[in-house]
Amino acid sequence: MSAPASRLLLRRRLIDAGKKRVSREPYRCFSCSVQLAQQQKPRPKSPQDAPSTTHFGFETIAEQLKEQRVGAVFSSVASSYDAMNDFMSLGIHRLWKDHFVRNLNPGCNPLTSSSKQGMNILDIAGGTGDIAFRMLEHASTINHDAHTRVTVADINPDMLAEGKKRALQTPYARSSRLKFVEANAEKLDMIPDSSVDLYTVAFGIRNFTHKDAAIREAFRVLKPGGVFACLEFSKVNNSLFDAVYKRWSFGAIPLIGQLVAGDRDSYQYLVESIERFPSQTEFRDMIQEAGFLVPGQGWEDLTGGIAAIHKGVKPL
Amino acid sequence: MSPLRLPTYHQSALGTLRAAARGPAARRRARFYHSYDHSQPPPFTPAESAILSAAISHVPRHGFTINALKQGARDVGYLDVSTNLLPRGVFDLINYHLVTQRLALKDSVQFAEGQQAGGKTLGVGAKVRALTLARLRANQGVIDCWQEALAIMAQPSYVAASVAELARLADEIWFLAGDTSVDTSWYTKRASLSAIYSATDVFMTQDRSRNFTETEEFLDARLEDSNRIGLFLGGLGEWADYTAHSAVNVLRSKGVRM
Repeated sequence: MSAPASRLLLRRRLIDAGKKRVSREPYRCFSCSVQLAQQQKPRPKSPQDAPSTTHFGFETIAEQLKEQRVGAVFSSVASSYDAMNDFMSLGIHRLWKDHFVRNLNPGCNPLTSSSKQGMNILDIAGGTGDIAFRMLEHASTINHDAHTRVTVADINPDMLAEGKKRALQTPYARSSRLKFVEANAEKLDMIPDSSVDLYTVAFGIRNFTHKDAAIREAFRVLKPGGVFACLEFSKVNNSLFDAVYKRWSFGAIPLIGQLVAGDRDSYQYLVESIERFPSQTEFRDMIQEAGFLVPGQGWEDLTGGIAAIHKGVKPL
Repeated sequence: MSPLRLPTYHQSALGTLRAAARGPAARRRARFYHSYDHSQPPPFTPAESAILSAAISHVPRHGFTINALKQGARDVGYLDVSTNLLPRGVFDLINYHLVTQRLALKDSVQFAEGQQAGGKTLGVGAKVRALTLARLRANQGVIDCWQEALAIMAQPSYVAASVAELARLADEIWFLAGDTSVDTSWYTKRASLSAIYSATDVFMTQDRSRNFTETEEFLDARLEDSNRIGLFLGGLGEWADYTAHSAVNVLRSKGVRM
C-alpha cells in the first residue's frame, strides 16, 4: 500500500472516531433524555412504525414494546415497592391513598342501605393490594359492610404475587371478598358490562399504552351511576414548588432507586413517565370524552398538585 | 341578540349529556351582574340537582348526613357510590338548600307594584324585613338539623363558601326590596343585613315559640338596632363633615392658603 493512501485511510478513521465521540451513545439521565427527545423529533421515522409508536418515559418506542417494558420495570420493583414508595414520597403516598379511599367511602351500611350485596369494586393496576386492603378495611370498619368485594386486576404477575403474599397478613386472604386476576386494563373481557360499582386505579394509568381505551373499558364495565376514580401523579401548580419538586424527582428519586432497590433505570422511567402524564385539565377532558360526568371541576389536587384524584360518574 | 347571550344547547340526547358534562364550565360562565333580559344558567347540573333534590326530602329524617345523600341518590336510580358526584359531600347538600331557597325568594315574596298595601306603600325597610322573614321561614322544615348544618358551614374548608353564600343572600334581599343605592351604603347595608341574618338564623335554631314569634321579635329588635346605629353613624358623619368644613373655613379666614 502506498504511503499517501495509508495516510488518507488513517485520517478518515480519525474523523470517524471524532464523530463517534460527539454523537456518543446517550446514557439514561435527565440531560441526555431531553437531548434525545429533541434529537429524535426531526429524525424522519420509517413509515411502518410511524403510526404505532408511544412513549416510554422520554423515549419513543414501538407500541407493542411498551407493555413488555413496563412489565419489566414493575417486575423488577415489585419486591421493594413499598419501601421505595416511602423513600420517594417521604411517606406521603400513604396519606394520599388513605384520603382517596376515605373520600370514596366504599361499602354500604346494612342499617341504612336497602342493598344487602355490598359494592362490587374493581381495583385496576392494584397488584400489591394497597388500595384494595384499605377499601375492604373502610367498608368493614366504617360502614359495617361484610359483603363488599374487591377484584384486584394487574397485568403483572410479579406484582400480583406480592399482593397475594401481603393479603395473608389481612383477614381477607381466604375470604371470597378479595380476588386477584391477571388482566390488561384495555381488554377486561372477564368482567361483564355494567357490573362494577366502583372502578379505581391508583398510580397505574400512567403506564397504560392506550389511556383512552382503558377509560372507555372502565365506562363499559361500570354500572350506570358507577364511579371511575383515579389517583395519579399530576402537575404542580406553584412554579416555585415545581422547581423544588423537579429537583427532587429527577435528582433524588433515581439515586434512591439505585441505592435502595439497586435499579436506577426503573426509577428513571418512573419520573419520566410522571413528567409525560397529561395535566389535570387534559385528563379531565379525556374522562369527559369517554362519557363520564365529572364532579365539580373534575379533580382534586393533593400536596400542591404532585398527585391528583380524578373522578367520573357514569350517567344513568 | 346580545353577544353576551349564552349558547343554547341542542335538544338532542347528546346535547343534554354535553350540557351535563359541561356543568362546571357553565357555572364559571355565570354572569357576575344581574341581567333583566337573560336568565342565569342553572346553578346545578341535571344529575346533581336530581340527586340533591331527592336527598333534601330525607333531611328531616336523616339530618344533613351522607345517609340522606345516599338515600336521595338511590331514589333517583343512582347507586350509593354515585354520591361521589358531589365533591364536597354533605356541604353540597347544605349549599343546595341555601341556593335553592335564595333563588326561590323572588317567587315566594311578591310586593304589589305601585299599589297600596294596608293603606300605604311598603318602604324598603319593611320589604327587607318581609324578605328576611320569608327566608328564615324557609328553614322551618329543616330547623331541627339546622344547628348541625351551621356547624358544617363553620368548618374551615367551607367557611369561605358559606360566607359568600350569605353575601349573595343579603344582596338578593336588598335587590328584591328595590334598593338602588350606588354609594358606600351599598356595602354597609349588605354587611349589616348579613350580620343580622346570621344572628337571627342562630337564634331561630333555639326558638321553641309557636310559629317562631320570638324569632320575629328578635329580628325586629336587630333591625331597629341597625337603624339606630345607622342614624347615629349618619349623624356622626354629618357632624364630622360640618366640623371639618368649619375648621377649614376658620383657617382660611385667618389667611391660610388651602
